Amino acid sequence: MEQTSAILIWLAYLLYAAAFAVFLIGFFTQRPWTNRVGIIVAAAGLVAQTLGLVFRGVSAGHFPFSGLYESMVLVAWAIVLVWHVLEAFTKIKAVGLYVMPVVLVLLTAALVSYDPPAGLVPALRSDVVIVHVAVMLVAIGCLYVAGGAAIIYLIEETLLRRRKPGGVLGRLPSLAALDRLIYHATLLGLPFLTMGMAAGVIRAETFRVPGWPTDPMVLLSAAAWAVYLALIAGRVRGDWSGRSVSWLAVAGLVLLLVIRFAAVPYLSGFHTYGG
Amino acid sequence: MHVVVAGISHKTASLELRERLALDEAAALRLSQELLDDGVACEAVALSTCNRTELYLYGRDSLAARQAALQRLARHAGVAPSELEPSLYSYSGDGAITHLFRVTSSLDSMVVGEAQIVAQLKAAYQMACDGGCTAVVFNRLFRHALEVGKRVRTETAIGERPVSVSSAAVELALQVFGKFRDHTVLIVGAGETSELTATHLKAHGIEKILVANRTLDTSMDLARRVGGEAVRFEDLEHHLSAADIVISSTSAPHYVITRETVERAFKRRRHRPMFLIDIAVPRDLDPEINRVRDAYLYDIDDLQHVVEHNRHEREKEAEHAERIVDQELASVNDWLRSLEVVPTIATLREAVEDIRRGELERLSNRLSDLTDEQRARVDMLTTSIVNKILHVPTVKMKEVAGRDQCYLYVDAVRTLFDLDTDEGGEERPAGEASADGAGREAGQAAGERSDAESAESPASSTPPASGGTVHHLRGTGTEDA
Repeated sequence: MEQTSAILIWLAYLLYAAAFAVFLIGFFTQRPWTNRVGIIVAAAGLVAQTLGLVFRGVSAGHFPFSGLYESMVLVAWAIVLVWHVLEAFTKIKAVGLYVMPVVLVLLTAALVSYDPPAGLVPALRSDVVIVHVAVMLVAIGCLYVAGGAAIIYLIEETLLRRRKPGGVLGRLPSLAALDRLIYHATLLGLPFLTMGMAAGVIRAETFRVPGWPTDPMVLLSAAAWAVYLALIAGRVRGDWSGRSVSWLAVAGLVLLLVIRFAAVPYLSGFHTYGG
Repeated sequence: MHVVVAGISHKTASLELRERLALDEAAALRLSQELLDDGVACEAVALSTCNRTELYLYGRDSLAARQAALQRLARHAGVAPSELEPSLYSYSGDGAITHLFRVTSSLDSMVVGEAQIVAQLKAAYQMACDGGCTAVVFNRLFRHALEVGKRVRTETAIGERPVSVSSAAVELALQVFGKFRDHTVLIVGAGETSELTATHLKAHGIEKILVANRTLDTSMDLARRVGGEAVRFEDLEHHLSAADIVISSTSAPHYVITRETVERAFKRRRHRPMFLIDIAVPRDLDPEINRVRDAYLYDIDDLQHVVEHNRHEREKEAEHAERIVDQELASVNDWLRSLEVVPTIATLREAVEDIRRGELERLSNRLSDLTDEQRARVDMLTTSIVNKILHVPTVKMKEVAGRDQCYLYVDAVRTLFDLDTDEGGEERPAGEASADGAGREAGQAAGERSDAESAESPASSTPPASGGTVHHLRGTGTEDA
């Protein structure tokens, strides 16, 4: 069972790599078929990864979110899933160019720190924790995609302003489309982030975790939350340009990355689900 | 049998000559039919666009076909053939097919990657087809060519990028705004390029076009032509705040719109982006406008750069398209080669059968004392000998069909057995003789069918069914008489 899971996740990894290659070919050669083919290959990867996660969950006997390996695979999975959903609705191309490398990095991190399935530590055996993890995954998926769209927006905007549209025209989505994607992805992600944080607070309160409100991870999360709220507010009122909105989305993304890769492993006192 | 093309294009002929050689639908069909009547070809398609006039022919003698095409074209244009000669290019065989594929892929076009040629070729073929000027080979070849055009268009980005200033401006605007919804265009000054750009924008879904010119009459004229609304030049600043796309081409010696004007406009329009195109020389729009947040300013040089860049990209894609053309040539050649094998076998069998019957007939006096039964046995015996002798060549020919060297075998058989001689023309009027030539090729092309017919053929090495097949080929009954 565990072996099947590992094979499936490796398969997903290879499929994502192939999809990334296709997106790169598409970017440089502008072959009309590349976007669709890339998305189909990535979708195949998503199916493999989903099955891999299911098998992992069955062999571990719990929702697979414990330890660095499981959590990384899960986050990568959520990003691909959210991207596919948003892609289906907005039909926007070129975001795969950003999503695929991010997912590949996350999966690489997961695969090098593979650990065999194990039972949950007592602290994680809680329904609130499961809810916290599930909604956070959706939030992270959305906000990573928003961040990626924002990075593309800023690059494209700069090139257009400098009147060097050669690398942009026909290759990247329009500024308006990216702006909408950032807005929609954040609009979807923010409520989940809110719920996830609420679940975290409930968990911390019920178990009386000492000093949780001043934990660096909690403070950074609150900051990220404020950034995304500001983004939505500014966009709805219409008094921020696409550039400002994009910078906020990038700032939010940076905060999320700091939380995951610096605060959780090194600074936080209690949030130790990963290595 | 060869595919032959002869014609002139923007690469070889002046505009004046192209004009004289331009064929309308009726002329194109008439020319094709005349060439069929000349007997130099059994299938013909005439293609005429503003950049080229070409005749595609399928016939046995490529040189004769070329000469006939030259004569006909010269006569149509009212020039001496020697005058047309230097501008005329012609290819036969692989060269002609490659040329056809390159034309449909718009690799031979003035603007590489332009899309109209596919439709033009389709129309030309359709007309020739309806007029009965095409048969098996061109029906297949031209459909294949249209497929090649389609394949090049989907597999390469050859037609993706605009290569004119006005369409580049539209592409840039689309890069900023995505789809046009309720966007507004403001045209300042009335120039040809701005009118063209406005028309392009309209085709992409822009509904609101405002026209501001110093003389109201001119702006009303332009507004009427592009389906817009004329506004007073004095209210320019007011309308600027509503405009998402600004196209300026006045002949003013100074800046018409300054950075401050745009900044004031942005106060009212908040942060919705504005795309400004300055086509005028000297420039109308202050270059400093580009520093305003959410304003994108492109002048004529910038647009030219985009066009240059796109041209360059198209050229790169053209290399890829050439490879596709090569592949497709190979696949169509396989078919063309195999096409020659079946009718050659049929003609060979026919010729040998003719000899057998002729000999039996010649000997009929000496065999007169045989009983009917014995006579039938002799008939069976000779048939059996003929079949035995022809069995191995038939099988071998079918084996080589589709191989590279296939035509060598076809040529060898045709030469050794003298299958190409067109005898028996003494008593026939010239017109029918040529029609017969055409009919024979169609008979070959029809392959197995003529094989079946040949069983009842009279003693002649020329295949039968000329009148009937010509009727089928040309769609007119005149040759039947």
